[in-house]
Amino acid sequence: MVVSITVDKTLRATSNVLKQAALVAAVLLHGSLFAEPMESAQDLMERMAKASRELNYTGVFTYEHRGNLASAKLIHEVRDGKTYERLLHMDGMQRDVVSRSDNLDCLRTGDMLLRGHAYKINDENYSRLQDFYEFHIKGDGRIANRQVSMVHVLPKDKYRYGYVLAIDKQSGLMLQSVLMSHAGKPLERFQFVDISIGGALSEMDSQIQGSEIDHIDQADCVQLNRKMLSPQSMWQLNWLPSGFVLASYQSPDANGQESMMFTDGLAVFSVFIDSVKGEALPSVDAKLGATVAVLTKADINGHQYAICVVGEIPRGTASQVASAIGISP
Amino acid sequence: MSDHKERLEQSLSALMDGEATEMETHRLLKAVAEDPKLRDRWKRYHMASATIKGDPVATSVDYSVAISAAIDQEPAHRSGGLAVFAGSAGRFAIAASVALVSVFGVQQLNTPSSNGLINGGSGMSEFASAQAPAENTGPAIQFPSGFQPVINARTVSAGGNNKSSQRTIPVLEVQQVPQQQVKAQYSEAELRAYLNNIMTKHSSHAALNSNQGMLPFARLSEIGGKSAGEALSDKE
Repeated sequence: MVVSITVDKTLRATSNVLKQAALVAAVLLHGSLFAEPMESAQDLMERMAKASRELNYTGVFTYEHRGNLASAKLIHEVRDGKTYERLLHMDGMQRDVVSRSDNLDCLRTGDMLLRGHAYKINDENYSRLQDFYEFHIKGDGRIANRQVSMVHVLPKDKYRYGYVLAIDKQSGLMLQSVLMSHAGKPLERFQFVDISIGGALSEMDSQIQGSEIDHIDQADCVQLNRKMLSPQSMWQLNWLPSGFVLASYQSPDANGQESMMFTDGLAVFSVFIDSVKGEALPSVDAKLGATVAVLTKADINGHQYAICVVGEIPRGTASQVASAIGISP
Repeated sequence: MSDHKERLEQSLSALMDGEATEMETHRLLKAVAEDPKLRDRWKRYHMASATIKGDPVATSVDYSVAISAAIDQEPAHRSGGLAVFAGSAGRFAIAASVALVSVFGVQQLNTPSSNGLINGGSGMSEFASAQAPAENTGPAIQFPSGFQPVINARTVSAGGNNKSSQRTIPVLEVQQVPQQQVKAQYSEAELRAYLNNIMTKHSSHAALNSNQGMLPFARLSEIGGKSAGEALSDKE
């Protein structure tokens, strides 16, 4: 049997039959043939990046991985040019994190990448989110009693995972995020069950007045098209998965641990290098939900270092990063 | 191949070429609904044609089905407080496992240099299927599902929101131990504390530098929110 696939013909033909076929195909491929153009998915992502920082909202969401479920309440308020956020775990031990961000306009690396800005890796190369992911709007849905647009984010390579996102049509807030393995298996899921958006949030007031703030963010803001950070470290990565850029660097602390964090705009991983604990730790792979940790050791001039790569990335990527860490020449 | 099947596949080819009759299309629709093999074939044709066109084929990765399937298959919730990082480390003789792990480590990817971006096209469809087994099964040494519910009390102090009491457990104490002595024997508690600590710091990093806001902190469901905050403050 000969199967001939003449695409041009397919494209040109406009018979009734073909329309039906296209419809069937669209159903089979879950609407991907009719997916909105890339542009609007990008717009949606950009709106999402802005909304999550600039709006007031309070809601309860669940976090789920491998049959485990946790729930937490998130309060986000912008007041006097400062952003306050509080995360209260709703089950298990009483836990509560409050943070304050002093500069609302401050863009972090991840924000910037998600908003579609190019990031200058070096003089010739720019990193852009859409070089590494495809974005497809997959129709509408309802999450937390709100109308959402479903967006499938597919990785273009095997170094990162994909996402299924639900973005609130009205506000642009992300109401659901499912991290997907390459096999299309959900690895973890954040999902709001209830959220109210806008207005003053009185609940936050008492919290902020009553409790100390755990964390005040005065991190460096990233300027558009700025060059990638280059840390003053003795370590260097001889390989990075494409699209990932250094977003922060912490020089060695009192315990001899230094760290770097990389992001491609969606995925995040950190590299920790310990100069003190090298001998006391084994090499292991560990996994919690979607987070992997690859702990390896490096022997440099007779000194044992522990190198740990942690992130929501495929284990293969983490191992490869771990093995690409060496001493700067 | 039965006559019926053969006819259907011919109809499918015709359809792909835009030459199927209305009757054939109806028959196909009906058959496709019942026959997953035929559906796969149809999908493959589409992928092939997309490849020829140079369209990204990834659109055929169908999350919607996978999600519902995976949810169906998910085991019932486990009891006990899980989710302490690497809680199951104790199931292995850790020192003995070191060698195994390092062998498995790099299996999934090619060398960096030979391994650029996979652009759309045929690479993508393989990526979806061929990558799958490695991703899911993992080497035997990888910690299995359901971290042991043991250690909350040890890694996270029961001090609740009291900052000073939370500080006690992790790694710091261990450093006092002369390194020669611990060389052969790895303390499981120490490893766990180390991983929990690393995980906490990573979440703080992620919260700061990605656009996920506070969400990464939710991953620390059993590790302790306050200590997450502290991990940050000692970075500053």
